[in-house]
Amino acid sequence: MSAPGTTDPDAATSGRPAPELPPKPGPSWFAIGGTIGAIVMTVITARSVGFSFSDVWSNLSRQNSVIEGALSPDWSQIWSERSRSAFIETLQLAVLGTVVGATLALPLALWTTKFGNPNRFLRTIVRSFNNVIRSIPDLLWALIFVTAVGIGALSGLLALIFFSLAVTTKLTSDILDGIDMGPVEAANASGAGLNQMLRTAVVPQILPSYASFVLYNFELNLRASAVLGLVGAGGIGARIEFFRGRGQWEELWGLVFMFFLVVLIVERISVSLRRRLV
Amino acid sequence: MSTPAPRLPAKPIDRYKWFFTAGVVGITLWSALGLEAKWSRLLDAPSDMWTLGRVMFTNMEAADFPDLIRAMWESVAIAWVGTLIASVFAIPMSFLAAENLVGRPIAWVTRQVLNLLRAIPEVILALVFIPVFGLSPMAGVMAIGIGSIGSLGKLFYEIIEGIKDEPIEASEAVGASRLQRLRWGVLPQVTPELASLILYRFEVNIRASAVLGVVGAGGIGGDLQQALLFKDFGTAGLGLIIIVIGTIAVDTVSGAVRRRIVAGPTGGGGGSSLRPTGRLPIFSRRWATGVDTITTVAESPSPH
Repeated sequence: MSAPGTTDPDAATSGRPAPELPPKPGPSWFAIGGTIGAIVMTVITARSVGFSFSDVWSNLSRQNSVIEGALSPDWSQIWSERSRSAFIETLQLAVLGTVVGATLALPLALWTTKFGNPNRFLRTIVRSFNNVIRSIPDLLWALIFVTAVGIGALSGLLALIFFSLAVTTKLTSDILDGIDMGPVEAANASGAGLNQMLRTAVVPQILPSYASFVLYNFELNLRASAVLGLVGAGGIGARIEFFRGRGQWEELWGLVFMFFLVVLIVERISVSLRRRLV
Repeated sequence: MSTPAPRLPAKPIDRYKWFFTAGVVGITLWSALGLEAKWSRLLDAPSDMWTLGRVMFTNMEAADFPDLIRAMWESVAIAWVGTLIASVFAIPMSFLAAENLVGRPIAWVTRQVLNLLRAIPEVILALVFIPVFGLSPMAGVMAIGIGSIGSLGKLFYEIIEGIKDEPIEASEAVGASRLQRLRWGVLPQVTPELASLILYRFEVNIRASAVLGVVGAGGIGGDLQQALLFKDFGTAGLGLIIIVIGTIAVDTVSGAVRRRIVAGPTGGGGGSSLRPTGRLPIFSRRWATGVDTITTVAESPSPH
């Protein structure tokens, strides 16, 4: 209840000529601990992989056919019948894997949310399932499916489906966390069923982002499908593995560089499409 | 004067949308009809998977455990050292790729180099590093190291482009050299974000290094492939479980550290002033919480 100004501590200090600076705070315990932890981790891990600068240098500076092959790639591979059909198979695998995987990802993502899946127990199950499939990398999926289903493009397709499922579900459920709940409440208030609510109040909100995730996923799949063949799951990887086995590095690099050119072009197209979407 | 009910305007036809949909359907049909897969096997696939799952998870032996844990640790080590190597290259490159620090032409050239590096999958790199380094974890380390420069550099320069100009201007005004400006004007603003991104990339790289063994570049992937090849399904099953649990465990620990780095000791506002404002709304939220990431929706990163 005192009058403002008279008891204000600022007023008292304003007359002081030069305020003393507070002492500079030292680094926090977290920073110290984190730095020490990182250094210890680095020393231990470097030892367990046998890292040494001199080895890296001597190995890289030594003459070897791999790097020589990279400097003079054999472009004629592009016109060979086999490489071209492997190329097309890779593209088809990526497309189908993305379409099927990403389509399945939409309901799976919706089921991780409170409004899309009111049952808490089921929600936990769906979330754990997503976590598990996300922690298995693409090539491992391929390895598993090749063992179960046999060598061939079908294993590659199944591997890409599961890989896409994991990626798109994760990205989409992150977007779902931040949607506007207004339309959901409106739909519920007007008596919509669960599916009607999702269809009219949720899906329209996330559709542009979802579409862009699918395209992004396609880019990932295109890159992933290049290596599936290394374990026998179809696509261009089989050709790469073939040339590697015979030590034909010029041909291998010709093929790999060509593939990256295609990947970069597809990525440009995909990025411009995504920019339009969002 | 009263018009009974205002007529609704006709729903506009979104040509772009129709064009897009038709394109997707067309390409999908072409792929489905063109792909020479043994479709007859598709019907058997669920039962095949069930059989494989059963033999994998019912024949596990505790005797394999120490070896597999050692192999998983090797994967983690490959990911860690590889990520550090990538950071050493990515940090200076990201300075050269940030338009607010260097001119547009230099930034453009650096970005193209980063894009090129980003396009190469780690497994392909491992394939070419094996003849150079031998069948050893070092081939994996180099593959991860070179393969992550592109994506790390991209994440870094996006952060750098979001910083405030004032500290740089201030250091310039007191006569700082170019390097001093970087040290006092730029680095303090980006260090927490950079550290957090490096950890994030470490998480991504664990997934990559877990499979590098498939081509012989060290880590648990090799054990898994050998086990499946020699129909030693119990070992494969245990290996798979160790990969899943190990990956999730590292994600959890690293995620907690990252949140602490970005949020600051108070767990809230502390670090938020360091966040780029406005430029990357989706980005900053997602990578702090998510495992798979996408930076700006428009530009494509590669978390793999």
